[in-house]
Amino acid sequence: LRRAGWWLWRGRAAVRCQLSPAQRPLQASAVLRRISDEQKKEPLTSSSQQQLDSHSTDHQPEQEPQGPRPSYTGQGGQESEDYESEEQLQHRILTAALEFVPEHGWTAEAIAEGAKTLGLSVATAGMFHSDGSELVLHFVSQCNTKLSELLEQEQKLVQLGEAEKKHTDQFLRDAVQVRLRMLIPYIEKWPQALSILLLPHNIPSSLNLLTSMIDDIWHYAGDQSTDFNWYTRRAVLTGIYNTTELVMMQDSSPDFEDTWRFLENRVADAMNMGNAANQVQSTGEAVVQGLMGAAVTVSNHRITDWSGLE
Amino acid sequence: GAGGAPSLRRCSTRAAAQGLGGPLIDRLIRVDHAGEYGADRIYAGQMAVLGRTGAGPVIRQMWNQEKAHLKKFNELMAAYRVRPTVLLPFWNVAGFVLGAGSALLGRKGAMACTVAVEESISDHYNSQIRALMEEDPEKYKELLQVIKQFRDEEREHHDIGLEHGAQA
Repeated sequence: LRRAGWWLWRGRAAVRCQLSPAQRPLQASAVLRRISDEQKKEPLTSSSQQQLDSHSTDHQPEQEPQGPRPSYTGQGGQESEDYESEEQLQHRILTAALEFVPEHGWTAEAIAEGAKTLGLSVATAGMFHSDGSELVLHFVSQCNTKLSELLEQEQKLVQLGEAEKKHTDQFLRDAVQVRLRMLIPYIEKWPQALSILLLPHNIPSSLNLLTSMIDDIWHYAGDQSTDFNWYTRRAVLTGIYNTTELVMMQDSSPDFEDTWRFLENRVADAMNMGNAANQVQSTGEAVVQGLMGAAVTVSNHRITDWSGLE
Repeated sequence: GAGGAPSLRRCSTRAAAQGLGGPLIDRLIRVDHAGEYGADRIYAGQMAVLGRTGAGPVIRQMWNQEKAHLKKFNELMAAYRVRPTVLLPFWNVAGFVLGAGSALLGRKGAMACTVAVEESISDHYNSQIRALMEEDPEKYKELLQVIKQFRDEEREHHDIGLEHGAQA
């Protein structure tokens, strides 16, 4: 019976699988503006393009369900149109639940409300942990995916010559800002989300999500280091991201301008620190040079002894 | 994107610990990169001591080949988004010390070091070739080509080491 209910809803729900491609070339900064515009218009739904249109089926009765959507782990693509895996269903529920987070927080209540909008019983919330872990992780994963897509789009524009390549500091600032702006609709409840992410059983997942995101940003920023800088850069950017996020929690300035100023300063510091990091590297080189000098000095003594034999 | 990079669609939950080619490729590239980096440092150490002797040109030639190997792995690392080993600073010093230390024993010492290291590296490459062949020779065709070539060159170094170490 429940399955029949799912079938009905699949027929009626409109599911958007991907961000629609830009219809015309966008300047890279316009992409940033678009995100903040979207958020100003629809504060409750901007974080998700995959939100179900359950309240507007009246307006769009002829809308067809889209193909199978990518699941959390990217395996959903192989599913046929008619079959929805449990994982896909879970993602749909969690996405629907986001709408209720500002009111209920990252809780089983929000999930239950989300399930209701899909026409499912509130008992489906029992599929998930009672502490709202999956909801937060789902949201973070979604934001990261969105960020990657935006950065990918931006990179394409630059490659096509339709946008300027940014300086590293500008790039990092913009990427972090875009990502943090995705929190704005949920900012009241974000401290709660952070504490959930820090629960011991969530740490592996949340750490993984964080490091992937930071790695992505550096990748699109053009980082190709294969030496210790790889680590230094990621550590530094992680620090910048985390501290800016915390500042944002406390920020009450219009459009979080204090936060963006803080971000700008931290990135500038990091750029200066970059010189210091190079100096550390040079210190390593200097050690090696010292050893070389010592080795050559010693060997000179020895070789003069053996010069007849060499 | 980078030439030869796989066009895998990453999902946001890809482990940052893993590159684009999956865990096998990730480890393989990291280890090989570390190995070539170490080899580069070993030859640098040997050159520091024996650079101006008769053994100099031979060592330099082998060193240049190792540099080319390292360059290739740098490229592969960037293409597959593999993280470098965190032990790089350690290999930097340890490799150099091994090279310089063995060279201080004279040409024979340096060549003995070369023979031992290259033997070990070509065994290592051989087992990687086996692993890739067992996994999927078609999929890893390009990588197999690279590793086979490098394995052959390392064997050459091994043989050169034997030859020159044997000479008085």
